[in-house]
Amino acid sequence: MSNQDKQEQNKLHGILAEFRNPKELVDAAKEVNQSGYKNYDAYTPFPIHGLDKAMSLKQSKVGWIVLLHGLIGFFGALTLMIWVMGYEYPLNISGKPFINIPIYVPITFELTVLLSAFGATFGMLFLNGLPRLHNPLFNVDRFDKASDDGFFICIEAEDALFAEDKVKKLFRDAGAANIDEVYE
Amino acid sequence: MSTEETHPNYWKSLNELAENEEYKKFLHREFPENASELSSDVSRRSFLRIMGASIALAGFAACRRPVQKILPYTKQPEDIVQGEPIYYASAMPFQDVLTGLVVEAHEGRPTKVEGNTEHPSSHGNTNIYGQAAILNLYDPDRSHYPRKGGQRSSWNDFVSFCSQHFSDTNRNIAFISEANSSPTYNGIKQKVLDKFSNATWVTYEPFGEDNRIEGTQLAFGQRLRTKNHYDKAKVVVSLDDDFMNPSENKNSVEDIYNFSQARRVRSTEDEMNRLYMVESTFSLTGSNADNRLPLKASELDKLIYNLAAELSGHVSGLEAFSGYNANFSDNERVHDWINSLVEELIEHKGEAIVSAGYEHAPEVHSTIAAINVALQNAGNTVTYHDVPHFDDQNNREAFASVVNDMKAGQYDTVVMVGTNPVFTAPADLDFASALENVDQSIHLSQYVNETSDKVNWHVNRAHFLEAWGDGYSFSGTRSVVQPLISPLFSGKSEIEFLNAIAEGKNASGHDLVQQTWQGYYSNGFHDKWRKILHDGVDTGGHFEAVTPSLDSNFTSKAKQFTTSESGNNGIELVIRPDSQLFDGRFSNNGWLQELPEPITKLTWDNVALMSVNTAKKLGVDSERKINVKTDNGELKIVVWVQPGHADNSITIMAGQGRKKSGRVGNDNGVDAYPLRTTSNMFYHSDISVSKTGEFYALACTQDHQSMEGRALIREASLDEYRENPGYSSYEEAYHGAELPGEKEAKAAGEDFPIPLFDALNYPDYEPQWGMSIDLNACIGCGVCTIACQAENNIPVIGKKDVREGREMHWIRTDRYYKGDTTDNPEAVHQPVPCMQCELAPCEEVCPVAATTHSDDGMNQMTYNRCIGTRYCLNNCPYKVRRFNFFNFSKDFLTSGSDPEIVQMAMNPDVTIRFRGVMEKCTYCAQRTNHAKIKTKQKTGHSIKPPDGMVETACQQACPADAITFGDLTDNNSIVSTDKMNERTYLLLEELNTRPRTSYMAKLRNPNPNLA
Amino acid sequence: MSKTYEFVPERPLVKGDHTFGSITALISDTPLKPTPKLWYVAFGFANLLLLMMLALVGYLIWEGLGVWGLNNPAGWGWAIINFVWWVGIGHAGTLISAILYLFRQNWRTAINRFAEAMTIFAVMCAGLFPAIHVGRIWVIYWVFPIPNQMMVWPNFSSPLLWDVFAVSTYFTVSLIFWYVGLIPDLATLRDRAKSKMAKMAYGIFSLGWTGSFRDWWNYEKAYMILAGLATPLVLSVHTIVSFDFSVSLIPGWHSTIFPPYFVAGAIYSGFAMVLSLMIIARKIYGLEDIMNIDIMERMNIVMMATGNLVAFSYLMEGFMAWYSGYIYEQGIFYLYVVGPYAWGFWVLMFCNVINPQFLWFKKVRRNVTLTFMVSIIANIGMWFERFMIATASLATDFMPSSWDFYAPTWIDVLTYVGTFGLFFTFFLLFLRFLPMVAIAEVKAVMPQADPHYYESDEGEETSTEAVEVENK
Repeated sequence: MSNQDKQEQNKLHGILAEFRNPKELVDAAKEVNQSGYKNYDAYTPFPIHGLDKAMSLKQSKVGWIVLLHGLIGFFGALTLMIWVMGYEYPLNISGKPFINIPIYVPITFELTVLLSAFGATFGMLFLNGLPRLHNPLFNVDRFDKASDDGFFICIEAEDALFAEDKVKKLFRDAGAANIDEVYE
Repeated sequence: MSTEETHPNYWKSLNELAENEEYKKFLHREFPENASELSSDVSRRSFLRIMGASIALAGFAACRRPVQKILPYTKQPEDIVQGEPIYYASAMPFQDVLTGLVVEAHEGRPTKVEGNTEHPSSHGNTNIYGQAAILNLYDPDRSHYPRKGGQRSSWNDFVSFCSQHFSDTNRNIAFISEANSSPTYNGIKQKVLDKFSNATWVTYEPFGEDNRIEGTQLAFGQRLRTKNHYDKAKVVVSLDDDFMNPSENKNSVEDIYNFSQARRVRSTEDEMNRLYMVESTFSLTGSNADNRLPLKASELDKLIYNLAAELSGHVSGLEAFSGYNANFSDNERVHDWINSLVEELIEHKGEAIVSAGYEHAPEVHSTIAAINVALQNAGNTVTYHDVPHFDDQNNREAFASVVNDMKAGQYDTVVMVGTNPVFTAPADLDFASALENVDQSIHLSQYVNETSDKVNWHVNRAHFLEAWGDGYSFSGTRSVVQPLISPLFSGKSEIEFLNAIAEGKNASGHDLVQQTWQGYYSNGFHDKWRKILHDGVDTGGHFEAVTPSLDSNFTSKAKQFTTSESGNNGIELVIRPDSQLFDGRFSNNGWLQELPEPITKLTWDNVALMSVNTAKKLGVDSERKINVKTDNGELKIVVWVQPGHADNSITIMAGQGRKKSGRVGNDNGVDAYPLRTTSNMFYHSDISVSKTGEFYALACTQDHQSMEGRALIREASLDEYRENPGYSSYEEAYHGAELPGEKEAKAAGEDFPIPLFDALNYPDYEPQWGMSIDLNACIGCGVCTIACQAENNIPVIGKKDVREGREMHWIRTDRYYKGDTTDNPEAVHQPVPCMQCELAPCEEVCPVAATTHSDDGMNQMTYNRCIGTRYCLNNCPYKVRRFNFFNFSKDFLTSGSDPEIVQMAMNPDVTIRFRGVMEKCTYCAQRTNHAKIKTKQKTGHSIKPPDGMVETACQQACPADAITFGDLTDNNSIVSTDKMNERTYLLLEELNTRPRTSYMAKLRNPNPNLA
Repeated sequence: MSKTYEFVPERPLVKGDHTFGSITALISDTPLKPTPKLWYVAFGFANLLLLMMLALVGYLIWEGLGVWGLNNPAGWGWAIINFVWWVGIGHAGTLISAILYLFRQNWRTAINRFAEAMTIFAVMCAGLFPAIHVGRIWVIYWVFPIPNQMMVWPNFSSPLLWDVFAVSTYFTVSLIFWYVGLIPDLATLRDRAKSKMAKMAYGIFSLGWTGSFRDWWNYEKAYMILAGLATPLVLSVHTIVSFDFSVSLIPGWHSTIFPPYFVAGAIYSGFAMVLSLMIIARKIYGLEDIMNIDIMERMNIVMMATGNLVAFSYLMEGFMAWYSGYIYEQGIFYLYVVGPYAWGFWVLMFCNVINPQFLWFKKVRRNVTLTFMVSIIANIGMWFERFMIATASLATDFMPSSWDFYAPTWIDVLTYVGTFGLFFTFFLLFLRFLPMVAIAEVKAVMPQADPHYYESDEGEETSTEAVEVENK
């Protein structure tokens, strides 16, 4: 019923199909991918091996973000300590040389790790466009299973090749268990 | 814990009690309490005093956020530069002896006592009592006003009372006075005795010179003072004479100085005297003896007679003793001793000293005198002097009879000057009840003590730094006692007091003293007076030395007292004065209460000392209570097992256990006087001891007594040193073990082992400070600790925290026992201040860089940067860092009804440390920096003070001159030459911390025959 | 094509015949069902302990450090012991999640969430102590390199400062690692939660996770990298903690063996703690299928290995004391064995040298009760190890004159007890409101998760019928 109202007001976001198990999902994803769709995505309760190949995804960019942060942490820490102890306020401490690289190792390491970790986490969220508190998919009741034991593919309306019945057919042929329209 | 019950931690509990109400109030008031006194006697000093108090406030208020309240001078007084201390010469009277002082005053507020280099009995040094005098001066517990029948009264009332009461010159008056050498005082005394024909005068000192004087009376028929010249003697035979202990020798400062001069070894050519010690208690002197023999006090006289007997064979004059042969519990050993003593004494005729402890019987002293005469020591190493202020009576007997007459109601008036007989008088005299049979009793004292409580008139006495006075040193140097501050509680000196009784009217001490001295210098008095005040010494006036001859009937007397000799095998009880509190008069002094006793290292208590064997025999152990019973009393006291104590002998120090001393002194330890009687002033034979099994916690600052084979103190005999001058090196100390990294260093021409990193090195900056401590000179008296405490505002923390192991002393004296037996071990002392390591382990571990190195090589502590991780304390191998576990300073300085008084004792040049920060020895940075500034002012460019310009507090006070301090960049400075000496070694050298403080290894000169 | 998909049968990590749905249900029900009585009881008790601890800390800060048993040679006492102990325990979590992840030890999925939570709360308890043990806590921020008007900076050469960085980094990284792992499961809870409140809360914290595979793709990469970062971090933390001791020159502290020895000890105690908690939790929450005996045994093996490493380092300490000929080291070791703290030493010997040997026997490793006892003893032992190192060495170091005896006050003891209040308060909250097992990860390691699983028939059936069951 909630879908009924939506049909009235809202424009179509995409077509959502559910598959029975990971294997069917992977095969279906391969189909969709080969038929040239770009704006589509698979939704699974856990990462499925092989799906990346099926969807022919490129290497994630998280690595680069981490590297950048790591470098900032590393050089940041070193410069801070060398500047403070060697130039800004040199103090004779235990008669040790002012610039004393070995003692900087632990802190440099820790700060490198810390910033890299931030890079990894926030980089990942950034790439995934999270946090995002609303998503049209949530309008589909069945979609709750995506975090439980449902395996979905959604082709979005923005896609150049998108045509409602063609898409539905594609899914039916791929053996979808259920097919729903997703409204904004 | 039983500690808390039996001994409440005064500084804390009181603070809780008062909750610093006064202090809060004080902060909100413009002027401190004393300001009201401005109206009373407006002298410059009293004004300055108030100033001082408020400045001190600025210091102590520094608990987290300092509240500064400073009164500026409304009119700048001449010759005073704010912040610049002024030094005045004065002198400290102790019994009837003066020690010359120079007192440091800040804005008219005396803050530190130092010795007067001009003064022969000081040589610029002091003892613990001298150093602690400042705290006594600013003791808030001192009596604030005269009392009549316990009610507040005033000085004027007292004077008017005197004028009418003493107008009747036929009164039967008993004067009981403490020993006093002041010519002014004794002048008035004469006047009094002339005025009141029925008056009796006795001088009473619970522990004093009396027996020795009576000894000379016996031997020579004259009452003379015996002076031992330790600097001249090659051999010193000390028979229970603990002459290094200020409580056992009122001239300790001079004697220690002379003694150490005669042992000052800088090269293998130098000579060293030899000290023999025979004693019952393990005393400070005993710990410094070259040969030591533990012997029951009751057997010591026998030994002396026996010695005399043996000597009589070689020298004339001792015939009286010939044939005397005693039996000792440790017979063989003692007789060996006697033989080798005889040998030594004969060999060093005329250059030896034989001496016995003050408290031994007159007969013993007479024998000693006879021996010294026979050996021709008299006149050379031992001199006898005629002292004008000595009474021509046996004071102890006189005192006893006076008290008995008081009981009999023969006196209507008794005047007590200073003493505290109710507490200290022999128990059998029962002074308190005697006092009740006197209708007018008058008492002058600084505190409302046990005696002042029972008298009709109590007059509050001025501290010697508050009042004019004069007197003689032990050897007769005359000087004036100059006050630095007008009486805090407008107390009166004994001179003014006695004068009021004599004249019935008020007179200022200043005038009275001047009158006396005008007598000495009738012409040109004014300049002379100024000079004397300035120097603190009067060149004129000394005690006539007399060359005594044995009294004709001494022989017969000797025959008598040597025959009446009864041996005893039971346990004996020896009563000695407390080495910290003397007879109890210093018991309200927190510094002294908390100063570890030189041998036991105990604080805040007195104990029953006994040997290991005796403890076994009695089945007791340390910190267990026993019940000591003599024929006229008993007491419960806690045991402390003391290795080296004579067997079957128990020593108890008298002076603790006071009831009316003050908030610090009350109820610490046990009062031993009840066991002290006229017939047993020194020791009781055959006492009965039973154990109670009760546990009692003691606060000891050193739990472990052995060096565990670590070469912390390196020692050799003089002969070993001559064979092998390098005996103190690491290799020697550890039998050939090589110092890590030393070979490489030698190869590289470095004088320290090479560290893994390239150390920042000195000295492109001058001066570079360093310290050298001569363990051969150090006797372990602990005066350095008190001096440091006074100079650096170190708080008193109380027994509980000392027991927890939180003592705050910046310089401690470690005492280790050596030797394989516990019945006569060797004791060695080692003062340990901060080593000021060049590669300081404490610095690198501080997370906030609160402890760093200064350009002049000092390991600095930045208090207000410290967050208190205590990591530096952990990483200090010498464990010299001290942590403020509580707000010790605040508790110390703000508790009580009038906290601002004790605050005045603080040194404004030194920060007061607050809770949660670390502190430690700074090499007296305030002094070194002051010297640098002064030098810069003089020269305009250099900040390198000339050698000797800077003296650290510990160095300055040390009577043995064990500590030298100075600039290491100056190769001719004393400290440099000491450090270049072959005996110099570094503590824990193998850690390569490169301490700036080094030690000179100890030497002993034992008699090989007594090994 | 089919060559690339090769099906390797593997011993199932999840016992019993479970489907994705049943797993989801099994785990996500606990947070969503109403609170059981028992939980309230436990939580209330934990809260009382926590309050006591807060009170004691307040008293400490008000009165000063003197209320503890610290004294002059022993500048550090229970506070530091507890710090090291808790940090050690805090190692298991991240270790399990990170190192085992890198080594593809899939059995970790059963316990990693649980262990990570424990880690975080343990590190919180640990972090408390260095903070309150300083003399002036109100200026403790001076340890951070913050520009200030005094123009002074912290001393970067102090191991204590390294500690500050190490522990805070470790805490932060563990926290985000844990949270990143939680995101998909929070989404699951969001989708299953009935009440508006719960939906809101889980919704916000799941950051709108959809399970989009493009997201999973970045997510897995990030998770892998985090694991890669956390692995050396775990090792570094206790290494640096051990520097607090080994960088100093105190005999018994100044020892190069400390870093590996501390890390081994940390893992030993960490696994012990996880086991103790797991054995209780699996019973109460009926998770025997997931936190099953195989997993317990695997953990026991790790404990045995690390336990023996620790035992070996004790041996080496004794050997080095003798071999170095360094009298102070010898003195300390001698006093360990016969000195005033000898009893502590022998307790330690039993707990950390004898105790792990029991784990050589499969019977013990697979016996819940015995394992529980072993794990408890292990933690007692590790506490005593730190006690011996910290206080016994300090109390009797170079200068015999300064030797003293360190004894804790009741405040020391109760503060330590109180930290358990802190720990369990948080831990119970975790058990109550968060999935204590990583749902998504468990599913991912189930045989059904692998597409090839469906090439065999009966797999097909089970899965389809499973789907139908769910559809009803």
